Amino acid sequence: MAELNLAVVVKLEPDLSEGSISYNSDGTLNRNKTKNTLGPHSKIAAQAAFYAKVKYGAKISIGTMSGHAANNALQIAMETCDADVLQLYSDQKFAGADTIGTAEVLKNGIEKMKGKMDIVFSGHRATDGETGQVGPQIAWKLGFTFLGNVISYDVNLEKRTVTAKRLVNLRGIPEIIQEVEAPLPVFIAIDPSYKYYFDTVSLRLTAEKYKREAHERAQHYNDYLQTFNREELGADETLVGLIGSPTIVYNVQRVPKGKATRSAKVLDGSNPEHIRQTVTAIKEAFAAMVIK
Amino acid sequence: MTEEKYRHVYVVIEHIDGKLLPVSLEMLGEARRLFDKFNKRYSSTEKVVAVVLGHNVGNLSKTLIEHGADAVVIADRPELHALINKIHTKVICQICLDKETAAKIEPRYALEFERPRYMFFAADGIGRHLSSTVLAELDSGLASDVNKLVISDLEISHPVKTGGKKVTYGKTLEMYRVDFSGFLWTTILCLDNLNENYPIREYSPQSCNIIPGAFEPLEPDLQRNGTVIEFQPTIDEDDLKIKILSQKFVESEVDFDNYKAVVGFGRGIQESPEKNIKLVEEFAKQIDAQIGISLPISKNVFSASPAITSTYMIPARVIGTSGKKISPMLYIAFGISGAMQHISGMEDSQFVISVNSDENAPIKDSSDILLKGRMEDVIPLLIDELKKQIPTIEVK
Repeated sequence: MAELNLAVVVKLEPDLSEGSISYNSDGTLNRNKTKNTLGPHSKIAAQAAFYAKVKYGAKISIGTMSGHAANNALQIAMETCDADVLQLYSDQKFAGADTIGTAEVLKNGIEKMKGKMDIVFSGHRATDGETGQVGPQIAWKLGFTFLGNVISYDVNLEKRTVTAKRLVNLRGIPEIIQEVEAPLPVFIAIDPSYKYYFDTVSLRLTAEKYKREAHERAQHYNDYLQTFNREELGADETLVGLIGSPTIVYNVQRVPKGKATRSAKVLDGSNPEHIRQTVTAIKEAFAAMVIK
Repeated sequence: MTEEKYRHVYVVIEHIDGKLLPVSLEMLGEARRLFDKFNKRYSSTEKVVAVVLGHNVGNLSKTLIEHGADAVVIADRPELHALINKIHTKVICQICLDKETAAKIEPRYALEFERPRYMFFAADGIGRHLSSTVLAELDSGLASDVNKLVISDLEISHPVKTGGKKVTYGKTLEMYRVDFSGFLWTTILCLDNLNENYPIREYSPQSCNIIPGAFEPLEPDLQRNGTVIEFQPTIDEDDLKIKILSQKFVESEVDFDNYKAVVGFGRGIQESPEKNIKLVEEFAKQIDAQIGISLPISKNVFSASPAITSTYMIPARVIGTSGKKISPMLYIAFGISGAMQHISGMEDSQFVISVNSDENAPIKDSSDILLKGRMEDVIPLLIDELKKQIPTIEVK
């Protein structure tokens, strides 16, 4: 019997890695030509869940809201954390949702997963949307304590608590590391710098075992996949998709060119004299420092 | 919609142990500028309200009023000293919905007031999460990473919001945010559902979190008057089980402040990332410079050896609105095109040289010298010349 019941919410995102990404000539992302994959921050969330599976024993369910193309993301996520259940929430009615409309679907999905959740994991923020709002909003809708930017965590199974270290980044002061203890259930948005570490041989052996199992399972991920539309999920039609979204994207424009703050002298990098001039300028910049 | 139901802008102030973070006064400054115009244009008397949570923070109200607040609502309790999202979210929501507080802010509409019209948070390690949970509780719209705000009356026709009909949404907050590439600016609006085919819903407050450094604070006006309101929050016993065990400051793993020169690289490394980053490394060593990157580099965009990836392609090195703001004596940008996000992080550098194959790259406008060429061709030449001109450089 698994000690912990865990969920991971993941997101299919444009693959920004070399060879997969395509930019338009004006520097913007070409979404049609760019491939999709499991978002890098979602992957770290799956790794964080894997840590608990190895250390404490856990059942892991993964959920995502997307079209069927998200199967690929679910498969990678499964291989990352040796998940037991994969859930895809897919419905035309979910389309166009802002963060609240998205959080509503994922909240319904998590409640659909078997058993009461102890910890739900999400990535820090999506690479393409960058809002970082969905995680905390799911947490709030579930009534779970939200812990963001978690860089490490452990669970006390007897006390049913989590202790987590959080990295708090604020402009104008050094970073803060906050150590917090909270009763389960909690929602953890994992920091991009998270890395798990197993300090005993037996844990490393367990990890190896689960990794082999995960690899096996991921080959047949379809056997573990459950798909839900809005009705099956029991999500309120007026709270999801465009209808359930307070915000809309009104306009998209090129960022206007700022006023030139400097007038650059243009030099030619293949001209030795210009290279000399550049290095002289570097020297002068340093000389200016001495005067200051 | 009655005008009196939704009033004022509530600005959630951030501080650490009673010391204001700069973004707090920046948000107040922008709120003041917007509302001076707003009140004139609509012949109104809506207020800029600063919301402060913490312990022993009463002394902040004077500074907040001097910097633009008409009213300061303070919840001062030992339990609010620690930054615990759940507790702070509930207290902020209590303040937003409290009619007595609203009556003290503006007695005239005490009975009609339901919620704030607008709400501002900071887009940082506190405000991002707090804004998300507060707006989930208040069930209204939130835009993030905003760097421009406009209030206007907009005629909108939207398939869902208006059922395709043209409707004028008054006093709409246009919230501008830059997308991840840095080249697109998206306007987000929070709009009521007025489509008769669906339940009619009003969304208030229209809310955003604001990038630190995006707006200027006001010069303090020592003559400004304001109302200070003490708010008595209700704190759930159960939430006090969440405990802060320790809290300490750590220096960032990448230090820009103690270097006189910084070298940055961006997407220009793409043709051979490993080789190009090693060139940048060698160049930086020549002039004892710290190495920074543009935002896309931190997103596993390019493949390189684990040693290079884990040293350089990390968020701690990002220069720009999503990372650090630097002001070295010398900044050299290799293969960085100059998205607005990056520019705002490096524009305070004393002298800027950019190396770019496109001589019209936007970074030109923020450079003193643009050296045209591919970084792989130019850096070896610069290193050779540096060795010739500055055999041993000592800058520390």
